[in-house]
Amino acid sequence: MSTIIATLGTGRARRLRAALTVLLAAAVAVGAPFYFAPFQVFQLTMVLLYAVALAGLNLLVGFGGQISLGHGAFFAAGAYTAAVMLDRYDTGHLATLPVAAAGCFLLGLGFGVPALRLRGLYLALVTLAFAVFLPPLLKRLEPVTGGSMGLTVDKLQPPAWSGLAEDQWLYLVVLAVTAVALLLARNLLRSRVGRALLAVRDNESAAEVMGVRLSLHKTLAFAWSAMFAGVAGCLYTWVIGFVSPDSFSFVLSITLLAGLVVGGLASLYGPLLGAAFVMYVPSVSQDVSEAAPGVVFGLLIITVMFVAPTGLAGLPGRVRAAVARRLPRRAPTSARTPEAESAPDGEPEPDAESGPESLAESGPGGDPESLAESAPDAEESAAASAPDVSPKSPAASDPSATDTPADLAVADAEPVGAPPRTEKE
Amino acid sequence: MSEPTTDRAESAEQRDFLQVTDLHAGYGQARVLQGLDFWVARGEVCAILGPNGAGKTTTLRALCGMVRGRGSITLNGTQLLGRSPEQAARLGVAHVPEGRGTFNELSVEENLRVGAHLRTGVGRRRRAERAAVAADLERIYGYFPKLRQRSRQAAGSLSGGEQQMLAIGRALMLRPSLLLLDEPSLGLAPLVTRELFEIVRAVNEEERTTVVVVEQNAQLALDIAHRAHVLEAGRLVLSGPAAQIREDGQVAEVYLGVSVSARKTG
Repeated sequence: MSTIIATLGTGRARRLRAALTVLLAAAVAVGAPFYFAPFQVFQLTMVLLYAVALAGLNLLVGFGGQISLGHGAFFAAGAYTAAVMLDRYDTGHLATLPVAAAGCFLLGLGFGVPALRLRGLYLALVTLAFAVFLPPLLKRLEPVTGGSMGLTVDKLQPPAWSGLAEDQWLYLVVLAVTAVALLLARNLLRSRVGRALLAVRDNESAAEVMGVRLSLHKTLAFAWSAMFAGVAGCLYTWVIGFVSPDSFSFVLSITLLAGLVVGGLASLYGPLLGAAFVMYVPSVSQDVSEAAPGVVFGLLIITVMFVAPTGLAGLPGRVRAAVARRLPRRAPTSARTPEAESAPDGEPEPDAESGPESLAESGPGGDPESLAESAPDAEESAAASAPDVSPKSPAASDPSATDTPADLAVADAEPVGAPPRTEKE
Repeated sequence: MSEPTTDRAESAEQRDFLQVTDLHAGYGQARVLQGLDFWVARGEVCAILGPNGAGKTTTLRALCGMVRGRGSITLNGTQLLGRSPEQAARLGVAHVPEGRGTFNELSVEENLRVGAHLRTGVGRRRRAERAAVAADLERIYGYFPKLRQRSRQAAGSLSGGEQQMLAIGRALMLRPSLLLLDEPSLGLAPLVTRELFEIVRAVNEEERTTVVVVEQNAQLALDIAHRAHVLEAGRLVLSGPAAQIREDGQVAEVYLGVSVSARKTG
């Protein structure tokens, strides 16, 4: 009972802290354009709009487990939709956003169909082909797209009552759209559809036997993802006021994917970090080496992936886990004291919690390697709390340690997917 | 409420609940099942036993649509053969695959909610289903208290036994009329396996869910089963009430590779 109250308390505290963080971030984000120089505000605007595209790509690649090397093309489609509407039909900026979103959604739905039959490298290749063939196509459709000269349209202008400069207004509008888009992505993932998407990524056949229609959800992932890219492209037209086929070469698609991986796949704020990387690192590398900025850019990607294989978003967790691994070396000894044995509820050392479990699992038929793998202190603490090996062990009920990454690391070493005893029919 | 529940209440002794007739199935050139005939009565636990490669898993996969085949499989008179796993799930068949197949990066609760994926609707129906799903979550946590404790933890961080519990719980969220368990004891410690089988028995008794369980551990399966079928090389070699098969020590030794008589004394 006390543990339930405790978790409720920490849950509320955590929610409060999260709310405060969000408020603070919102205040900083809204205040930024009044503090920075116009060019810096423009850069921040670009970060935000790239974040929308990356959030979409994240739905597909990070959460959907598929791949697309063609998202630059959806981005371009969104940008051109807005530009053509403004240029030819003079619709006004606001009208372009829903049209670009809906158009790219449908385009994505169409491209989701090959995604049903292809996966991995094959899917990457097909989507890359889309990204490669779009710029020449845009050049060919000169009457509509302005050919290789591109289209110049009006940027989004601040209304007179606001008294804001153009860059500030653009920033705030893009900020609002980005906030809505990120929130939408987050809510989508928590919905029934999002769960189905994640389930398909984790285990296709298991999802299918639960009644999840694979084709529908895979195609939908593509459509949602393309829609986000299209919205980002539309914002791009609003902000830059100029589109040309060369702005959307296939390098953009690859940059987007690289940005997402660097930022952190399947992370909710990874897209923001990735977008910042995509925006700032090329200019920083230009400063570092006038001659070969690409080399510096590449080296930085390699460095980030080496230091943070789960992306920048995963870095804090990894650092915390690394620190936790170094620091409480003494914790297992405390598990040997009688108090700790009788009251494992308050045991903060995660290894002590999953230790007995892994032992119980790898009993006679188990994989002996799993023991060797789960850190030595797991073995010690398991031996210390030997009476807990029974399945009703209260040690298993400790909720306090569930969030520590180190706990997951140890649990992963268990023979979870234990090899089948023998080959099946 | 979903159909299966009312059906179950109507006639507990319905004999042609699941009817398998002349079932042939396999993978590509490999013909694994060579004409199976058996039936499972509503509300009973049926064990499918046999040595490696006998076709046990293939039988289950044919039942849930993961493997195509020839012949006939009817559930409540509806043909199951030729349907996709997703369609089979809609008809109330819940399959717990070999090796559990939990969604490791989803939390325990999210895993259970994926099990209720099909239980949705619009308007009032949606609200009613939501309440029913919430109630079922509680019910599943009742069977598996450990899952409640770990409801917010990633399924991948669970132990093998807990993952198996989760896989079964997830399948029950479908409110299945037919629950298929493929080697639930695989890779688990004996103690954990026994606990798991007791829960399956409880589920069967309390929910009247029909269970077909494939198991290498014949003793365990026969303990909870009402009826058993022994497969060898894709053919049925023995069928009957579980008690009778357990008694038939000689047959058991030949086909199941276990000394059943030794167990009886022990």
